[in-house]
Amino acid sequence: MIISELWLREWAATELGAEGIAERLTLAGLEVDGVTRVADPIDQLVVGKVVSAEPHPDADRLQLTLVDVGTEEPLQIVCGAPNARAELLVAVALEGAQLPNGLKIKATDVRGVKSNGMLCSAAELGLSEESDGILELESDAQIGQRVDQYLQLHDHLIDIDLTPNRGDCLSVQGVARELKVLADAKLSSFDVADVESASDSQIDVMLRDEAACPRYIGRIIEGLDTGARTPLWMQERLRRCGVRPISAVVDITNYVMLELGQPMHAFDRSKLNGAIIVRHAEQGESIRLLDESTATLRADTLVIADTNGPIAIAGVMGGLDSAIDDSTTGIVLEAAHFTRKAVAGAARSYGLHTESSHRFERGVDPQLAERAIQRATQLVLQICGGTAGPLCQQNNSERLPTRPPVALRQSKLNQLLGMQLDAPEVETILGRVSDTLEPAGGSWLVTPPSYRFDIEYEADLIEEVARVRGYDSVPTALPRIAPRSAAASEQTIGLRQVKQSLVARDFREVISYSFVDPDRNSEFSSEAPIRLRNPLAENLSVMRTSLLPGLIGALEFNLKRQRDRVRLFEAGATYHLHGDQFVERQRLAAVVCGPVLPEQWAGETRRDADFYDLKGDLSAVLSLTGLKEPFIFNEFEHIAMQSGQVSSVNKSGVNGQLVDLGWLGRLHPSLQKKIGATAPVLVFELDLERALEAELPAFAEVSRFPSVRRDLSIVVGQGVSAASLLSCVRAELGSALNKALLFDVYEGAGVEAGCKSISLGLVLQHNDRTLTDAESDALIESALAVLAEQYGAKLRA
Amino acid sequence: MADSLDANLDSILAQARQAIRQAEASAELESLRVQYLGKKGELTGLLKQIGSLPPEQRPGFGDAVNQVKQQVAELISHKKEQLEVAHLAATIEAERIDISLPGRGRGLGGLHPVTRTMQRIEDIFVAMGFGVATGPEIEDDFHNFEALNIPPEHPARAMHDTFYVDSVAPRLLRTHTSPVQVRFMQEQKPPINIIAPGRVYRCDSDVTHTPMFHQVEGLMVDEGISFADLKGVLTHFLRQFFEADLDIRLRPSYFPFTEPSAEVDISCVFCDSGCRICKGSGWIEVLGSGMVHPEVFRHVGIDAEKYTGFAFGLGVERLTMLRYGVTDLRSFFDNDLAFLEQFR
Repeated sequence: MIISELWLREWAATELGAEGIAERLTLAGLEVDGVTRVADPIDQLVVGKVVSAEPHPDADRLQLTLVDVGTEEPLQIVCGAPNARAELLVAVALEGAQLPNGLKIKATDVRGVKSNGMLCSAAELGLSEESDGILELESDAQIGQRVDQYLQLHDHLIDIDLTPNRGDCLSVQGVARELKVLADAKLSSFDVADVESASDSQIDVMLRDEAACPRYIGRIIEGLDTGARTPLWMQERLRRCGVRPISAVVDITNYVMLELGQPMHAFDRSKLNGAIIVRHAEQGESIRLLDESTATLRADTLVIADTNGPIAIAGVMGGLDSAIDDSTTGIVLEAAHFTRKAVAGAARSYGLHTESSHRFERGVDPQLAERAIQRATQLVLQICGGTAGPLCQQNNSERLPTRPPVALRQSKLNQLLGMQLDAPEVETILGRVSDTLEPAGGSWLVTPPSYRFDIEYEADLIEEVARVRGYDSVPTALPRIAPRSAAASEQTIGLRQVKQSLVARDFREVISYSFVDPDRNSEFSSEAPIRLRNPLAENLSVMRTSLLPGLIGALEFNLKRQRDRVRLFEAGATYHLHGDQFVERQRLAAVVCGPVLPEQWAGETRRDADFYDLKGDLSAVLSLTGLKEPFIFNEFEHIAMQSGQVSSVNKSGVNGQLVDLGWLGRLHPSLQKKIGATAPVLVFELDLERALEAELPAFAEVSRFPSVRRDLSIVVGQGVSAASLLSCVRAELGSALNKALLFDVYEGAGVEAGCKSISLGLVLQHNDRTLTDAESDALIESALAVLAEQYGAKLRA
Repeated sequence: MADSLDANLDSILAQARQAIRQAEASAELESLRVQYLGKKGELTGLLKQIGSLPPEQRPGFGDAVNQVKQQVAELISHKKEQLEVAHLAATIEAERIDISLPGRGRGLGGLHPVTRTMQRIEDIFVAMGFGVATGPEIEDDFHNFEALNIPPEHPARAMHDTFYVDSVAPRLLRTHTSPVQVRFMQEQKPPINIIAPGRVYRCDSDVTHTPMFHQVEGLMVDEGISFADLKGVLTHFLRQFFEADLDIRLRPSYFPFTEPSAEVDISCVFCDSGCRICKGSGWIEVLGSGMVHPEVFRHVGIDAEKYTGFAFGLGVERLTMLRYGVTDLRSFFDNDLAFLEQFR
């Protein structure tokens, strides 16, 4: 909230300046966002009195005025405002004045008549956005007095960002009380005298839910002057606190709210029928509100009603049909206590947030209502005249929120803060917070004031002591932390290691939103995604079931920015609903598109990455696990991938069952085209929890005997997979085979159609002796024989 | 006869010396070797004429020829070495390259700056003895709000613009990493010292808000843990993180799940006397913290009389922006390579 420094000083006397007040408040938890001066001084701007106003001889809309500014001769000033009239006190900008909008005042000729200055409007002085005519000063303005002084433009606005627990500071009174606690400021006594009733006009008040509204006070005031204007000083205070002046009665209720913290309302007496009833709405009942919207009410909403129906949503906003207007002469003032719970949900559920609901949600002092209605009555009678009836109130004091006493142990205080505090100092601080403080042998029993909803636990009092003393006085210590077991098991690969190995292979990590476009998601996953009830936009409305929507989106984004080589990965959760169970899986996905190598000055010719390039990257990552059994890649189908270039990624689990780790493939050409990629797009996606299980290295004796390498090129049918040939050879040669590698695949001239040539390098080695040529020959023969038998393999001619 | 042979020998030596000196390539040298020392060479030829000498002169002449042969062989060998040295030098000169040309091969990728910051945060706390915990991102109301002393209708809920999941069982996207505190305390008894990094969500999107961002939660619970400990741990962390001897300021604040609560400010890392980032105040707000509220302990069944603890939550994007001078929060999730490549 924004508060006027001068208004605050009326309530609390302190030697601190505006900046000092701001600093003190900030360091005590009432964060001040800014301190600004209302306006810079304006020289040559003085109070004047219009002596006469005559029509301009040559212009219909202009008046010729003579204005007394305290000099010997009145000044002749031409003025365009219709409200310029004799006897009016006005703000006169003299020659040489510079107004806040930059305008410099000079004596000029206006249609042949000399004008020696300007009569100013509120807008021209920077006091409002727009104005209707010139500013009319009140009778207490002294002719010749500086206007900036008269309007107190040297005032400062202190913008306090209050936390929700400090609803008690949402008023001048509240901040003043805080300054007393924090800076020992002396509070002025602002007792409001009761206004005796001068009429018998009453209205019945009925409370149907005393738990939600334990106190309601109404008061009828009649015979109001419809022409009454809000005095300038009150308009200025409202304006400075960010409240737009509207009409005298409304301004007064707002003024009392800002001053004391009690939200108030005023109904037009003539528009009410029968009694005032505080009740719950009937389901589906509707009300037209002051903001001209119509709300259809739910049964859990507390309303103020008359016999015809709702006239306000309690503590939130009044109804339009009972609102005061220009012709209102009789009002019913309302000051009530609605509990936090009664108001809190209501405002938000109807999309409303008002000064009133803001305060009731945070808690309004239950003892404040009567004082507030007396204060408002006083101001109404003073400004609008009329006669007030008696207070019409319903009270259930037992239902009013109370503040039970809270015990504070000195030992707990010292332990929690980690410092030793003297009892007298603690008592001084708590004494400023509460009038009721009972020492009880090493502890105190503190009864919080009725407005301090935030003091409920011992810890709240500890914070109170700490923040009044200042957190800077708390010492710095380092706790002893017991040693922990090593963070990570060696039987799992850390995610960091995985990320680092991808980085080393020239991949860049991205982070994309967990919610994605449902259409995009369905391109990559046939699983029904979890939907958000209140997404920001349709394209962020479902929780991803695959990392690819985001990753492909990032690829698309960069392709559009003329990147022809993109290599990205993301690690993060995917979200699934299995029956009624919400399941999150940690996954890793990567995408590559474009040349294998960045463009460079010589070396390999440019070649776009294909399936095997990404498979190489994936295999490198998987090899981190150190599994002895090779990973298994099987032909696979995926909705987003090009058939024939997709593989599942598996490993063998217990009992030889395959464990599904994910898949790898080439994006379907139609999707590739859709995202504007000219080169093939390759992707993989892995389930990290399964893929990261690792095996410890197990030492095996290194043979001291020489190895023999035999290369053979065999011809097999095109449908025979390389992996099956290798595993066949491994099975046949057993421990004699040190290593088998595949170094060439060839189709074309010299190999019969429908067939391919595969070249294997077989490294043979024995642990105990050197293999003889004959032994090696025999081993190779046996391998060839089994390849021929199982796959029809022939040695390439 | 002997004189003429001797004279012949002298002239052969002189010729050979001349020829070897002038030789420019090892091939030339080889043919000189053949010419003088080969089986049909000139010196061998002279030796064959030894029979025409009187027997008493033969040994002397033989020696003389052999001496010349040896001399010539040495000259050749010496010259050969010279030529090899020169050749090597010429080769080296010819193979001179422009070492300023860039190296070849593929480059190095990089981690996302948010990951980089999270790893640094983790490293600092792990070195202090903290463990790393995680929790679900799709949460229930109890863990995200209720157990953290934020009952329904609490005004603090208005500050957490919550995404709700469209499901039969009421679920939401966690608005902070604090529910991990609750889950951890439900499972484990003190002493507890953990951090919990992860994604969080708020239904808000503008220049300074993204609907998803990252937090790191911290929690320490044990007998005798104090506000002074909180101050010590966070001071240590922030000085390590920014690698600077920063001033740390704690300011009272309000979080429903801590009491006392504090916002933590660091002295501005960008200026000495007030700048745009610190709004001229010289202080930058970096995280929220406080002593675990007794209501939170009650919800997880930890005896608030016996144990006390502190908790804190820090925004990873905010720390990343401060550390590397990033000015636009949204750039973290555009995944523009031009942005990402600035982080090695």
